[in-house]
Amino acid sequence: MKKLLGLMLCLLALPAAAALDGNQVLQKVDRNLEPESYEAYRKLIDVQPDGSKKEYVLYTIKKGRDKVVALFLLPASDKGRATLRLAENMWLYMPDVGRPIRITSLQSVTGSIFNNADILRIDYTAEYNVEAAEEQKDAYLLSLKAKTGEVAYDRLKMWVDKQALLPVTIEAYAASGLLLKTLRFKDIKDFGGGIRRPATIETDSPLYKGYRSVMLWSGLKKASFADEIFTLNYLPRVQELRK
Amino acid sequence: MKRIRRLRLLWPLVLLASAAGAPAAEEFSFDASAFEKKPFELGGYAQLKQEHFSFNRDAVFYRLGNFDQPQRDSLDRTTGTLQLAGKLRLGAGTFDFRTNSEVQRDQLAHDRDNRIFEAAYSIRPDPKLTLEAGKRVLRWGKGYAWNPIGFVERPKDPNDPDLAREGFVVADGDFIFNPGGELQTVAFTPMLLPVGNDVNSDFGASGHWNPAAKLYLLYRDTDIDFAWQGKGSRPARYGMDFSRNLASNFEIHGEWVRIPQFTRPVTDSAGRVSTETGNADSTLLGLRYLSASDTTYIAEFYRNGTGYSEEEFRQFYEFASTALAQYEQTGSTAQLQRALSLSQGSYGRPNAGQDYVYFRAQQKDALGIVYFQAAITAMMNRQDRSYQLTPELLYTGVKNLDLRLRLFLLHGDASTDFGEKPTSRKLELYARYYF
Repeated sequence: MKKLLGLMLCLLALPAAAALDGNQVLQKVDRNLEPESYEAYRKLIDVQPDGSKKEYVLYTIKKGRDKVVALFLLPASDKGRATLRLAENMWLYMPDVGRPIRITSLQSVTGSIFNNADILRIDYTAEYNVEAAEEQKDAYLLSLKAKTGEVAYDRLKMWVDKQALLPVTIEAYAASGLLLKTLRFKDIKDFGGGIRRPATIETDSPLYKGYRSVMLWSGLKKASFADEIFTLNYLPRVQELRK
Repeated sequence: MKRIRRLRLLWPLVLLASAAGAPAAEEFSFDASAFEKKPFELGGYAQLKQEHFSFNRDAVFYRLGNFDQPQRDSLDRTTGTLQLAGKLRLGAGTFDFRTNSEVQRDQLAHDRDNRIFEAAYSIRPDPKLTLEAGKRVLRWGKGYAWNPIGFVERPKDPNDPDLAREGFVVADGDFIFNPGGELQTVAFTPMLLPVGNDVNSDFGASGHWNPAAKLYLLYRDTDIDFAWQGKGSRPARYGMDFSRNLASNFEIHGEWVRIPQFTRPVTDSAGRVSTETGNADSTLLGLRYLSASDTTYIAEFYRNGTGYSEEEFRQFYEFASTALAQYEQTGSTAQLQRALSLSQGSYGRPNAGQDYVYFRAQQKDALGIVYFQAAITAMMNRQDRSYQLTPELLYTGVKNLDLRLRLFLLHGDASTDFGEKPTSRKLELYARYYF
């Protein structure tokens, strides 16, 4: 009788033990994509329907889950522009204007399909809750819901590679259910220091038919920064941080 | 030979096509090592601007400015600008500069102007501390079109709020703290702005050090500044500003400033100028909203405490008209000189009225064209209902090249703010190339 009871308890416990913990997967995705604090260089390429391109190069630093600075190094028309994100607060500093102004996550400082929330992305776990997690053949499908109304995308569908625990595809939706864009993560590369992640992210949007944008990563490494660097007063000087 | 000549004629098209980029290769590459910091960096832009002015020959400010000149209905002006910005990393600090050179030609004059906008050396012994000295632009405030709290800067042109301006020679420090919790950031910026015969002489009376300071707080996701400027070359003043996102696409901001015992000259219609003294309070409230269709709306309400009311302006216009009529009839310049002096002083400042409304709507990717922006800006004197409308087109799709076309349309009855401006319409086109 005791054996039978034990067997029944084991059977009941099995689905729970095997249940996918979406939050744990998302935390792993965050850390596998980037160290919590890092510096990196990124190139954004906007490809227009006629094939012509516009390129931007950014130096990016991040600290903790929700502090990010991105400094424009190219093109010359944008050089010296710096953006700061502290959780849901975002500012843009333009050398000509000489003072930071608040910007919103849905705007794009580059004018490309990548908006400010993509360029100044903080940890997914800082912005989203996992509503559902589903195991598919080669991937986990996470359904994410924004924690507040201030997050750029209300919902994300994230396909995560089961082996590497890195995103493969992300679909971003507005609160209305409209598909805003699709992000595709490609070209997994070893950046050194135990960082192995996609070096290329491509995006397209049904709102910009025929256009696509590409983000290339280089020089990604762990780094530590003082909190004071992530302030409005430091933004005009952030380019001095580069080696 | 003919072919070469034809090719030479087509060079602007060739340049445009090559700048726009060759068809995209499917493979992209990127190596960060090419972007290491260099000891010396130089950049900037070259700009060619063409303007066509249509004058309002009945306007008081046109008549005062041209009473002894041949009368014109219009003027075409070409301006070439070269702005250089550079950085030289020297020892523990950085020397950075920005110069502005302009050559201007119209049917009346040919001018040149070379200015150093900024040239300052700064050191950062620690991320918490920056010390600098030299010519520097310190822009304070949260307003888009106006910044009454900009105590230590040259006045902003609300028609071109993003334009680089000339700074003042200052010595300043920046102390940053991160207390944590709800008070996320505290930053204190004290400064001295000396005024002498050869230094900052256009700031005010010479022989003063002019201390000023700003305290910035990021408290519960709200930017808050408290600013102060001590008595010296200008009357003392203090104020505060704030900015906050109410939603991810909706920002509000405001400024409030008091100048205690501010004196201003006021004329009556007979030209009797009296001096009024009292607290001048200026207030600005604004918002910025981004719609789902990528239209940005900016609205601001500005109460200028140092400005003139509709009635005060009406009396000035009446006096100026009388002085001009007297000059035309008798050749006497006695009254006219007084009217001219007032028009070149506080009555002739940009936005010298008391109540203004500013509205701007700009559409990103207008007509479905990426990097093409269409905008319309309206500025109105709320008391006399005169206004200025500015439709604008901007294209930034070619690498490092901005092309902007604007039309200024001024409208107002006689004796109103925009109705008495010398220009009734202005068409402006510029091409700016960054390098």
